[in-house]
Amino acid sequence: MFKLALKNTLFYKGRSITTAVLTFASTILFILYISLLNGSHKSMLENSLKIYTGAIEIYHKGYRDIGGNEYLIQDVKAITDKLAKIDAIEAYSSRYETYGLLSNKEHSAAAMVAGIEPKREKILSSLESALREGSFLDENSANCLYMGIELAKKLKLGIGDEVAFIGSASDGSFAADIFRVCATFKTGSFEFDSSASFITRSYFDELMYAKNRASYITIKLKNIEDAEEVNSQIITMIDDESLESLTWKILMKNMVESMEIDAVFGYISLSLFMVVIFFVIMIYGFINVSSRIKGFGILRCIGLSKRDVFLLLFYEILILTILATALAAPIAAYICYYYSINPIVIEGIADMYKDYGIISNEIPFDFNLVTFGWNLGVIYLLNFLSILYPYMYINSFGPFEATRHV
Amino acid sequence: MIKLQNVNKYFYRGEPREVHALRDINLIIEAAEFTLFRGPSGCGKTTLLNVIGALESCDSGEIFLKEREITALSEEERTKLRLHEMGFVFQAYNLIPVLNVEENIGFVMRLRSFSEEEIKQRVLEVATLLKIDDKLKSLPNALSGGQQQRVAVARAVAAKPKIILADEPTANLDSKNSEILIGMMRELNEREGISILFASHDELIMRSVTRVLTLIDGAVADDYKQ
Repeated sequence: MFKLALKNTLFYKGRSITTAVLTFASTILFILYISLLNGSHKSMLENSLKIYTGAIEIYHKGYRDIGGNEYLIQDVKAITDKLAKIDAIEAYSSRYETYGLLSNKEHSAAAMVAGIEPKREKILSSLESALREGSFLDENSANCLYMGIELAKKLKLGIGDEVAFIGSASDGSFAADIFRVCATFKTGSFEFDSSASFITRSYFDELMYAKNRASYITIKLKNIEDAEEVNSQIITMIDDESLESLTWKILMKNMVESMEIDAVFGYISLSLFMVVIFFVIMIYGFINVSSRIKGFGILRCIGLSKRDVFLLLFYEILILTILATALAAPIAAYICYYYSINPIVIEGIADMYKDYGIISNEIPFDFNLVTFGWNLGVIYLLNFLSILYPYMYINSFGPFEATRHV
Repeated sequence: MIKLQNVNKYFYRGEPREVHALRDINLIIEAAEFTLFRGPSGCGKTTLLNVIGALESCDSGEIFLKEREITALSEEERTKLRLHEMGFVFQAYNLIPVLNVEENIGFVMRLRSFSEEEIKQRVLEVATLLKIDDKLKSLPNALSGGQQQRVAVARAVAAKPKIILADEPTANLDSKNSEILIGMMRELNEREGISILFASHDELIMRSVTRVLTLIDGAVADDYKQ
């Protein structure tokens, strides 16, 4: 049966070439589209995670919903000692965030001032690479403030200017100091750039009476894909009911949801394309089968069962699909691989992207063999499904009736 | 060997254009008979051949092949019956265009899972008998009509069926080729003991067969041996 199918594919060249070309094109397009979709989402996520949010963050329960000094982590060291033992963690750091009033002689603004560990943040986040002017913080920066560029504009501050801070320390007491603007940053997020400023933790802890306390601990993983697994490990290790450890999927719920919606629409538009391809392949198969009804009738008369007819059609589409995908898959895989290491740069919006600071103007493809596998699986499935209607059409004729078909 | 009891077949039953294609056919065909169903166009000879060959079902009556009632078989069983017990020769040759002569002749044998050695041997034997052994590697479209019909006969006999059903096998052949073909089929009938049933109005076949059944309006009007 396989040999007959092979000969049929060689004999009915028009149908074979059309099916193979369509399968080839749709395989390449499908793999590239999914790779680009996944790659851009991954890149979007990585960019966002790089800015400030960690892959995992540990909070005291209630801090995210209610906030306030009573929901601070009270013993940072006890937790970080345990985190140090987890291999999958690349870096971690505690942050102390507070909200207060920043004022100069003429202007005031409410702002977030966060105490950070500059050395660790260099590994954890892209705060350093978001630098626009001045120099990034170090452990001895004392009262140096690293300020969002929009916030600096709002307060009409420049590098070297002084700004007064009034806030509440971790014990609820009044806290005030004079900071000096040492550097400004721009991440591209207006909200963040117009409300955030950073100061070295060692200095800030003294001011805020926050030694060994933190708003949360942020964690960077060696592999973001391991977030859920590592998070479970952290929960087990810290074993403290008053704390919660959350992955980026919860921390960046809005972004995850928008990515999921984007993916759904992406898949829907691709599905519509694939449906068109499917029908074209099926129609060509149907036209071919229609012209061969007499031949199928003869085969059925001389003893070919319905199962054999199905096998014949199955082998024919299998041969064509193998041929097309064997050519298409390596080409698509190579393109994905190439653009995963040399991401596409959208020239037209490159300048605009650069103006957004650290947000990348590159759109990488995702090179993932598992994705290629299911992409090919879908192509095979669609092609196999395309023989069902032609098969039913053949069986709508009796064997003898089919031999008389014109 | 083949027994038909009160076989009736209708087309378009219940419609104004209803045709009573076979009327109360009662018939026994012995093993190795060389039989012709003849009669004018539309008399039911092809339909009779088809119901015997399990290609079409009858509306009433029974058909037995040896002791087996084929009218009670499922479609799948009828397919198997055709594969294992019957061979078919059609008016329009109906060879598989993508297979060469050798593959066409051996096709039914392959479906029946004969060994490659057996197939090779039998194909050569039958092809030699039908004088197409020099065309084994040719594709059907490279052969003349007479040669194609001989390939069709070879395909029908290669797997040694009990019965061959031949529907107007000489209709597309000239008299010389018809004579050669019928002579060869006669030889196969005598040599291999295969029952061959023709549906035809070819005088040449009528002169060659051992039994002639004449059908008129779906009923057996005459039945004689010669």
